[in-house]
Amino acid sequence: MENSMQRVRHLKTVKAKNDRSLSEKTFVGFIYAFTGLFALICFLPFWLVAINSFAAESAIKRHGYQLIPKVFSLDAYRFLFHGRQVVSSYGVSLTVTVAGTVLAVLITAMYAYVLAHPKVKYRNVLAFLTYFTMIFGAGLVGFYILIANWLHLKDTLWALILPYLLNPFFAFIMVSFFRTLPYEINEAATVDGASDWTIFFRIIFPISKPVVATVALFYALQYWNDFFLALMFIDNYKLHPLQMMIRQLISNINISAYVGGNTAYTRPLPTYGVQLATVCVTIGPLIFLYPFIQKYFVKGITIGALKG
Amino acid sequence: MAMVREIVRNRYLYALALPGLLFLVVFAYVPMAGHLIAFKKYRLADGLWGSKWAGFDNFKFFFMSSDWYKVTLNTILLNGLFIVCGLCIALALAIFLNEVHSRLYQKIAQSFIFLPYFISWLVVSMMVFAFLNTTDGIVNRMLQSNGLEARNWYLMPGIWPAVLTVIYVWKFAGYYSIIFLAAITGISGEYYESARIDGATRFQQIIHITIPLIRNVLIVLGLLGVGRIFYGDFGMIYGIVGDTAPLYPTTDVIDTYSYRALRQLGDFSKSSAVVLYQSVMGLVTIVLFNAVARKIDKDSSLF
Repeated sequence: MENSMQRVRHLKTVKAKNDRSLSEKTFVGFIYAFTGLFALICFLPFWLVAINSFAAESAIKRHGYQLIPKVFSLDAYRFLFHGRQVVSSYGVSLTVTVAGTVLAVLITAMYAYVLAHPKVKYRNVLAFLTYFTMIFGAGLVGFYILIANWLHLKDTLWALILPYLLNPFFAFIMVSFFRTLPYEINEAATVDGASDWTIFFRIIFPISKPVVATVALFYALQYWNDFFLALMFIDNYKLHPLQMMIRQLISNINISAYVGGNTAYTRPLPTYGVQLATVCVTIGPLIFLYPFIQKYFVKGITIGALKG
Repeated sequence: MAMVREIVRNRYLYALALPGLLFLVVFAYVPMAGHLIAFKKYRLADGLWGSKWAGFDNFKFFFMSSDWYKVTLNTILLNGLFIVCGLCIALALAIFLNEVHSRLYQKIAQSFIFLPYFISWLVVSMMVFAFLNTTDGIVNRMLQSNGLEARNWYLMPGIWPAVLTVIYVWKFAGYYSIIFLAAITGISGEYYESARIDGATRFQQIIHITIPLIRNVLIVLGLLGVGRIFYGDFGMIYGIVGDTAPLYPTTDVIDTYSYRALRQLGDFSKSSAVVLYQSVMGLVTIVLFNAVARKIDKDSSLF
């Protein structure tokens, strides 16, 4: 009798264990399904854009966008690079991104260093001046009048570069990094006769490479992806950055004239193809660099979240 | 006098801050004068200072029209949807990714999920167009191949809050899940170990350990989002919806409305009134919700 009771109890625990491992397995399966599906959905549009940029226009027109196109063709790219717009837009985007990032990082780092420097008595005043711009915007109209009517920067590359030179958020990320540096570095260098500028440019800036790289990449991404400034201030299509070129292709003015300039193109225009191909050349560099830069962004977001 | 002495003494340090300070003055403080236009009858020829005062007329026009209520509602509703759906799905992703034991799978999945963060809104808009355009869009082709009727999605304002929310989640789930993952990684392994010894399932561990311990991060991110609820994402909305007027009833936010008033109607005064309204409401909500966030968690609030 006792024996059989024990048996039953034993069987019960085994059953519970099995149940548990079964539900555990279902749960693990669900986890993989959910994350895998989400990852797939994130990737799918990239795949569709990339692969269909190599599809023949007639194939897109007949079958729609395909996971694997029925007929491949380089027509879209041929047409795109036949014209001058993509080259000049690339030049604009590249110039603005490189020049903007270099200037922005330098200005932000110098500014943040002062905000973090214990010798600077008014650093909190400066910090408040900076913080206030984050919570109370000047707004669209004042900004537009400033650039267009007061600084006369319409249709110049400066209109695409200057407005983003100092992002308070990135400045504060740098401030919190500079604060972690031991002040003894500073004192030792001062004893050796180094000036404040020497200390900053020769010592602090070089040892801050991780945060400098992170902030630089955030700035670069912002410059590369921005279309707001171009939309507001650039009417001359020769100064259109790539993002603006995409916009023109969507809002569909005369694509042939816009992309191709005066070049004669006899075959039917690959409208979808040109749009997709332009997207590909725009995000191409990002995708190519993605494996190398991803970790900097992850780090930046993590610091930003812990601090900001 | 003390101030001058301090600046002279540390002149090389202050000089380092000068470009940044100059930038803030010129690009952030000087344009604040633009808010004055909200109280003026602005004419380009007269300039900011020469234009006649209009009292509160511009505000009267804005608040008497139904536009006021419509764009405010859209801004709050869309941002609300973005915050709730974005944070919840990002939280789920972070928790699940953390439960995955294969490091390789975790890394690859995270890379894909983070990828959309890197592309511009115009690229996104092109992708959206590939899915939703009437003649050759993927969605309509799928409907047709199943014997259903193609729809003109760009004429159906009702579905766009949902569409935009999906897009937002798609683009930012990776971003927020990184923040959550960092918080989860910070939880001591001992909690899980003792829970395992007590026989807790993985699901129970999530419910009773992970979620309570990162609840503050979730709340703070939510509060910071709510603090900025009066600021629509211009790049997103204008990039995707653009000048598709039939969609305005549900997608027009304060930012796109004031942009059109300025750049397409050329009505500086009206635009300025809208912008000032937004700036003031924004200031109030940000200060309010940041204070609440700071109460909850001193370290993770915004400064």
